Amino acid sequence: MEKLDVPQGTLDLMILTILAREPAHGYGISQRLTVLSQDHFRVNPGSLFPSLYRLEQDGKLKAEWRATENNRRAKYYQLTASGKRQLEQHRDRWARISFAVKSVLEGA
Amino acid sequence: MTLLHRLASVVRWITRRNQAERDLADELEAFVDMAAADGERHGATSADARRAALLQVGGLEQAKEQVRWGRHGAWLDEIAQDVRYALRQLRRHPGFSTIAIVTLALGIGVNTAMFSAVDAVLIRPLPYADADRLVMVWDDASRTDGERKFFTTPPEWREWRQSNTVFSDIAATQPGDAALSGSGEPEDLPARKVTGNFWNVLGAKPLLGRVFTEDEDVRGARVVVISHGLWQRRFGAVPEIVGRTILLNDTPYEVIGVMPREFYFMPARDIDVWMPTSFAPGMLLNGWGWHDVHTVARLKPGVSPQQASDAMAALSLRVTTPRLPVARSAVVTPLREEIAGKTYMSLVVLLAAAGVVLLIACVNLANLLLARSALRRREVSVRTAIGAGRARLIRQFLVESLVLAGCGALAGLLLAIPMMWFLETLVPPTMAAVHLTLDWRVLAVSAAIAVAAAVTFGLTPAVRGSRLDVHEGLRDGGRGSAGARGYRFQHSLIVAETALAVVLLTIGGLLPQTFQHLRGLDLGIRSEKVLTLVTPLFRYPDFDRRVAFVNAQLEKIRAIPGVVSAGAISRVPLTVNDQATFYRLPGQSINDGATQVALSRVVTRDYFSTVRAQLRDGRFFDISDQRSDAPAAIVNESFADRHFPGRSPLGAQIKFGNRGPKGYWYTIVGVVKEIRDRGVAEELRPTIYRVHEQGDQTGDVPSGIVVRTAIDPSSMVPAIRQAIWSLDKNQPVTRIQTIDDIVSRQLSVPSQNTVLLGAFATLALLLAAVGLYGVLAYAVTQRTVEIGVRMALGASSRDILLSFSARGLVLTLAGLVIGVGLAVAAARTMGTLFYDFRPDYSAAIALASLTFLAVAFCASMVPALRASRVQPTIALQQE
Repeated sequence: MEKLDVPQGTLDLMILTILAREPAHGYGISQRLTVLSQDHFRVNPGSLFPSLYRLEQDGKLKAEWRATENNRRAKYYQLTASGKRQLEQHRDRWARISFAVKSVLEGA
Repeated sequence: MTLLHRLASVVRWITRRNQAERDLADELEAFVDMAAADGERHGATSADARRAALLQVGGLEQAKEQVRWGRHGAWLDEIAQDVRYALRQLRRHPGFSTIAIVTLALGIGVNTAMFSAVDAVLIRPLPYADADRLVMVWDDASRTDGERKFFTTPPEWREWRQSNTVFSDIAATQPGDAALSGSGEPEDLPARKVTGNFWNVLGAKPLLGRVFTEDEDVRGARVVVISHGLWQRRFGAVPEIVGRTILLNDTPYEVIGVMPREFYFMPARDIDVWMPTSFAPGMLLNGWGWHDVHTVARLKPGVSPQQASDAMAALSLRVTTPRLPVARSAVVTPLREEIAGKTYMSLVVLLAAAGVVLLIACVNLANLLLARSALRRREVSVRTAIGAGRARLIRQFLVESLVLAGCGALAGLLLAIPMMWFLETLVPPTMAAVHLTLDWRVLAVSAAIAVAAAVTFGLTPAVRGSRLDVHEGLRDGGRGSAGARGYRFQHSLIVAETALAVVLLTIGGLLPQTFQHLRGLDLGIRSEKVLTLVTPLFRYPDFDRRVAFVNAQLEKIRAIPGVVSAGAISRVPLTVNDQATFYRLPGQSINDGATQVALSRVVTRDYFSTVRAQLRDGRFFDISDQRSDAPAAIVNESFADRHFPGRSPLGAQIKFGNRGPKGYWYTIVGVVKEIRDRGVAEELRPTIYRVHEQGDQTGDVPSGIVVRTAIDPSSMVPAIRQAIWSLDKNQPVTRIQTIDDIVSRQLSVPSQNTVLLGAFATLALLLAAVGLYGVLAYAVTQRTVEIGVRMALGASSRDILLSFSARGLVLTLAGLVIGVGLAVAAARTMGTLFYDFRPDYSAAIALASLTFLAVAFCASMVPALRASRVQPTIALQQE
C-alpha cells in the first residue's frame, strides 16, 4: 500500500502528541508515527527534523543527548510546559476541524 | 517570552554554529544507524540495510539543508551567502571594484567630514538649557546710517525688560575690562559684564561656588565668576579659589564661582571673567547713545522668533519715539544663528557641494553597475534557469551594492579624518573650540549615507538586471545588446552628472575670484613688519597722566634698536570694532546729528606715518596740534565723499555729540585714504581721527600700540614688553600680533571655502569625466560587431570616430547648458560667501565650460579612437 504524506500542518500536532507520552529521539518519533498511523503515514527526516528544530527554537520542546536502550547516543526530545499548552490548543482545534470536515462529507 | 526565546536561539545558532552543525550531523547519523539496525533485525544484510536507511533519509546533505532553511534566522544565512558571493565577485573583478570603491570612498568621505563639522557647529546642543528658545535682540539702526543689527543701549534694555510681552526674561552683557595683577605677570583677561539675570536666562550653572544675583549686580558688588580655563591656568584648579579675593583693574574682587569647561557665550569663546554690569542709574535712564550692549532673551512658550521680532520692533518704536529725534526699531535673531555667524553659510554651501559629489559618485556607480549587469546577463540567465526568483536576484544585486558601499564607507572614513582636521579651523571663534572626531553620530550618519548610496546606485541596475528573458539571455551568449532604451537611461544619467559637476565648477570658479579680490584689497596701510599690541590704560584715569604715560611709553619703544617708528591709536586697525560717534556739521540741526554716525579714533601724531597711511588732501597731525579751542580732525575719504562730494573738506568744522549744545567744534585739516579699520572684508565707514592730546572730551584712550620694525617683528616682543614695564611694571600688555597675522586670520575662512569648494569641484569634474568615459567605452565594447559591420559596409574609421565623439560631445553640451543655468541660480543665493564682492560670472562660466569641454573631449576621444581602430574582420569573427 502506498504510504501517505503527513497532511500540511498536522506534523507538529503529531510530534507533540507522541512526545506527550514520553521523551523520544528522532528515529523513535518516526517509528511511533508509522505504528500509530497503522502504517498509513510515513515521515522522512527531511520533514521531521526541521519541525523538531523549529519546535525546539520556539521553546515547545527541549532536547538532551542520552544513551538509548542499545547503548548509542541519541538526542531525546521532550515537551516543555509551553509545548503542553500548545498541544491542548492544537488538539481542540483539530477535533473541531475533523468534526467539521466529517460533517460536510457525510451531509453532502 | 517566546520571542525572546526565539531570538536567543537565533543568536545561539549564529554564535555556536559549529556545535549546532555537529549536533545535526550526529543526530542524522544516529537516525540512519538506528534505521539500519532495524533493517538488520528484520533480516537484511548490514550493507543493504544501510542503503535502505539512507534512501529513506533521502540524502543526508539535503536533509541537513532542509533543517537549516527551516530554522528561524535562516535568512541570516542567506544574506551571509549573498555577502560571500558579492565579495567573491569583487575579488574577481579588481578593476571594477577599485574604481567603484574609490569613487564611493570620495563621496562618503567628504560627506562624513562635512557632516561632522555641520554637526559640531549647527546641530549639537549649545551649553545652555533649552538653547533653541534663546534669542538676541538688536537695535535696528537702518533708519539712521547704522546697521540693521546694532548693539543696543542700557536704557533700551531696561525698557525692553520692563514692557515686553514675548520673553520670559532678557539679560544684557557689555564689554568688560579685567586686568589681573598682584601675583605673576600682569595679564589683561578677556572679560564680559553681565546682568544678574544672565545666568537664569541661559540656564547656566557654575561648576563650583555660585553665580551673582540681581541684587549684587544692582548694588555693584565686587564679585566675579571665572572660566574653567582661567581656573586651571592661573589658579592651579584648586577648589579654594571660591571665596578668594583677586585684583582686577587694581580693584579687589571676590571670586564666587567657576563655570564648567564647556560654558562660553558670545561674543568670544575665551571669556575668562564674568562680572556684574552694575549700570550706573544715570546710564540706565539716559544712556541712549551708549551702544555697546548685547542682549540675550528667552522666548516665552509658544512665541516664535518672528513674533518676538515684530513685537519688539513695535515696543522699541513706542519707547524711543518720545525720547529720541529718530525712533529706533528692534530685531530679534536666534542665538544659534549668531553663534554660527558667517560659518553658517559656508557650511551649508560646502555640505551641499559635498552632497553633489556624492550624487555624482552614485550616478557613476549606477552607470557602471548597469553596464556590468548587461555583461552579467548570462550569469543571471543561468541562475534564473535553475530557479532563482526575481526577488532573490534583486536582493542579491542589492547586497552586492551594499557590500560595495560598505567597503567604500570604510575607505571613506580613512579619507574623512584628515579632512576633519582641516575643517576644525572653520569653527567660528564665537563658539567653544571643537575637536571633530569620528563619534557615533558621525559614524551613524556615514553608515546611513552608505546605505542610501547603495540603494540609490544599486536599485535601478538591480531591477533592470533581474528583468530578463532567460532564453534570450542564454542564446545571446552574454554579450547582450542593450537596446536604445538602455542607452537613453545611461545618457540621461551622464547629462545629470555633467550638470552637477558644472554647477560646482562654476561656483568653485567664483570663490577664487572673491578670495583674490579680498587679498588684493588696499588696506590703506603697509602691513608688513608691523607689530600691534594692546595696553589697557585703566591705571591712568587722569587725562594728563595718561597722555604723559602714552608718550613716554612710545618714546621707550622707539629707543629699542630695530624699531623704525611707533604710534598709538584707540583701536588696533583691521580689528572689528565699531567704536562710533554721532556728529554734526555747521548748519545741521540736532536731529540731523542724531542720524549720522562715524567711527571715532584718537591717535598719536606718529600713528599715520608708522602704518604708512596715504594722505589725499591736507596734512597729518603735527606738533602744532596742541590742546586748544579749535582742535584738529582728520577724516577718511568715505567721510569726505559723504559731505563734501567734489570739493575739499579742509577747514570745515565738525561737532561731536548730538544732545544739547555740549561739545567741541573740530576743524578738518586732512583727508586720509581709506584704512580698513573694521577688518579686511568689512564695509568701509566714514571715520574721524583726532589727536589723543586733544581728545579729552570723549572717553577714547589710545591703548592700541603699533610698532614698525626693521627686522622680524615677533623677535621684538620681549624688548617691547620690557620697555613698557620699565615705566610701569603692573601695566598689562596683551593681544600681541602682527598686522599680517590679523589679515591672514581674517582671510582664513574665505581661503578655506575656496580650497574646499575647489577640491570638491575638481572631484566632481574627475568623477563626471570617469562616468562619461565609462559609458562610451562600454558602448564601444558592446557595439564592436556593429562597428565591424558598418566598416565592412564602407564606413571609414573617421566616420566611426566622429559618430562616437559626437555622442560624447552632445551629452556634455546638454549637461553644460543645464549646469550653467543651475550654477547662476545657486550663486545668487550665496551672497555672504562673496563678502559683498560681485564676482564676474561670465569668466567663471567660461572657465568651467572650457575646462569641462576639454576634460570631456579627452574622456570621449579615448573610446572613440578605440572604436575607429576596430578591425572589421576580427570584429565580425566574434559573432
